[in-house]
Amino acid sequence: MYEVNYKDNDYKVEILSRNGNKITISVDDRVYDIDVTEPESGIFSILYNNKSVQYSFFPEKDDRKKYKVYHGDKEWNLEIIDPQRRYRKSRKGDDGDDSNYISTPMPGKVVKILVKEGDKVPAGSTVIIISAMKMESEYKVTSDRVVKEVLVKEGDNIDGDQPLIIFE
Amino acid sequence: MIKKILVANRGEIAIRVMRSCREAGIKSVAVYSEADRDSMHVRYADEAYYIGPAPSNQSYLVIDNIIKAAKDSGADAIHPGYGFLSENAEFSDRCKKEGIIFIGPSSYAINTMGDKITARKTMQAANVPVVPGTTEPIQDIKEAVEIIKKIGLPVMIKASAGGGGKGMRLVREEKDIISSVSAAKSEAKAAFGDDAVYIEKFIESPHHIEFQILCDKHGNCVHLFERECSVQRRHQKVVEETPSPIMTQEVRDEMGKHAVAAAKAVNYEGAGTIEFIVDDNLNYYFLEMNTRLQVEHPITEAVTGVDLVVEQIRVANGEKLSFKQEDLSQKGHAIEVRVYAEDPENNFMPSPGQIKYLHEPLGPGIRHDGYIYPGYKIPMEYDPMISKMIVWANDREGAIKRMKRALEDYILTGVKTSIPFLKKVMDAPDFANGKYTTQFIEKNMDILMPDNEPDQEETDIAVITAFIDFLNKEENAKNEIRTAGSSKNYWKEFGRRKGVLRL
Repeated sequence: MYEVNYKDNDYKVEILSRNGNKITISVDDRVYDIDVTEPESGIFSILYNNKSVQYSFFPEKDDRKKYKVYHGDKEWNLEIIDPQRRYRKSRKGDDGDDSNYISTPMPGKVVKILVKEGDKVPAGSTVIIISAMKMESEYKVTSDRVVKEVLVKEGDNIDGDQPLIIFE
Repeated sequence: MIKKILVANRGEIAIRVMRSCREAGIKSVAVYSEADRDSMHVRYADEAYYIGPAPSNQSYLVIDNIIKAAKDSGADAIHPGYGFLSENAEFSDRCKKEGIIFIGPSSYAINTMGDKITARKTMQAANVPVVPGTTEPIQDIKEAVEIIKKIGLPVMIKASAGGGGKGMRLVREEKDIISSVSAAKSEAKAAFGDDAVYIEKFIESPHHIEFQILCDKHGNCVHLFERECSVQRRHQKVVEETPSPIMTQEVRDEMGKHAVAAAKAVNYEGAGTIEFIVDDNLNYYFLEMNTRLQVEHPITEAVTGVDLVVEQIRVANGEKLSFKQEDLSQKGHAIEVRVYAEDPENNFMPSPGQIKYLHEPLGPGIRHDGYIYPGYKIPMEYDPMISKMIVWANDREGAIKRMKRALEDYILTGVKTSIPFLKKVMDAPDFANGKYTTQFIEKNMDILMPDNEPDQEETDIAVITAFIDFLNKEENAKNEIRTAGSSKNYWKEFGRRKGVLRL
């Protein structure tokens, strides 16, 4: 039994019948007769009710169960939940808050760090400034925090989603 | 005659220049920074020279490195593109000194037009209209009132020592003139210790319209009509079109003459652009001159049929312009959109990263000037513009339809782009009606924000596609293990057995 997570919903998916790329599949209680092929790597051609649409996605490096799917201007961050992952997810509750650090959605360069270890930072204050493509962005804390560790220094090049400053 | 051109730039403009070089049988030389080894301009050029680390002030802006590359490659000319060194007077002079042709104007023209006050005075001397106002500071209230009445309301009063909005007053009504002038003066006195003020006509939600000009070294100078560039976000152009939807033939002819006069006033050579601000009643005023090829030059090429880069090279060669003003006309309508690697939903945050999939629009009337390819990593050091899409059609309505189609056909994944935002611009009633000013984006922000909420069916299909891919991969992984196992053992074993049996 598989589920696919999107935002707050876990969709139950079940293949009812399959003949090559022609598949009858249910999502929750909605049933689709669908024909899915991958004519180009990462590009999926989908026919259903004689409608033709294209979806695309590319494997996420670190996790084969995570998918970022694109269609037109829309995108979905999906996660396949098999029994193994469901078990792990149910235990995840006590892992703590993962927003214990500041990171950026894109790669860039550290322009300025405005805090140091041990600093008490009031909500709304800027802690780090990152530049990317001739534009500088300020990153702020949303609640009162205490700086535990600063992992980068001014002038460093950084990746997207890389932890930069850790809070207690 | 120029036989080899070094293009001192990167990205789409470097490739665009090299394309014209190829057509003209001229060899092209690329320069590249550490971040650009795999960039398309390096791959497209006939030769490529490394000029330094990724930051542009250590590579694309280092005059010595570029001159050295030109000498090493034996290039006889340098095309600067736009940005970087294109409006650098020192670079223009240096090329001259080194005996390399700079495809652009003299340092005199760059300097004169580069300085706002000198440019304003030069334009006034050439009878080109500038924003009415005072050039000398005013102390006396009575004098100020008289000047304001002469200029006409609304006006902006600015502290001459000013900055940061201090001592600035907008006056709309006659009854407020005296109080506003004295308020501005006392504010200026308090903030800067100097109560002198300037007065300038205030142009309400202006249009930004510019004229392309082209001059040779023999005193011939023509204009190639206007470009409407009012769709701007934070003074950055987003969409350009030609002809301007608000232009009349009479005003066009008059503005064109003034644009030519402006260029002649600085003995301009090559391609340049005269920018005007224009009010709703088509009163126009000189804003500035860009002494280089513009980002939006392709829309002019689309309606006039002139290749501006080829003409730049001809002028640099000392040839005469191959056409006269009366030979030029505008045919049809062209629109350009600039596609940026930025996230419109996230306050237009830059979005560098790797292009995963790219499908560029094709078909009638479409030109796409870009430089990215699938697998390319957009570097974070440079401008976020990744391409320009230019469409041409017989009329404006057709061009808008074509642009919508082209934007829908443009599929790019891996980085966020402004494509969804641009689609919304094409759909906005103010744009469709051609009734827009530089306030357009601000005014329409609500309807320009992409609404990407998928419906249930779209989400279901996304879920299904991902799920089937996951199952297929699981299946393949199992099969691989099985076949890997069998080929290692069974065939070999079979062969060995057969060999043994034959004995």
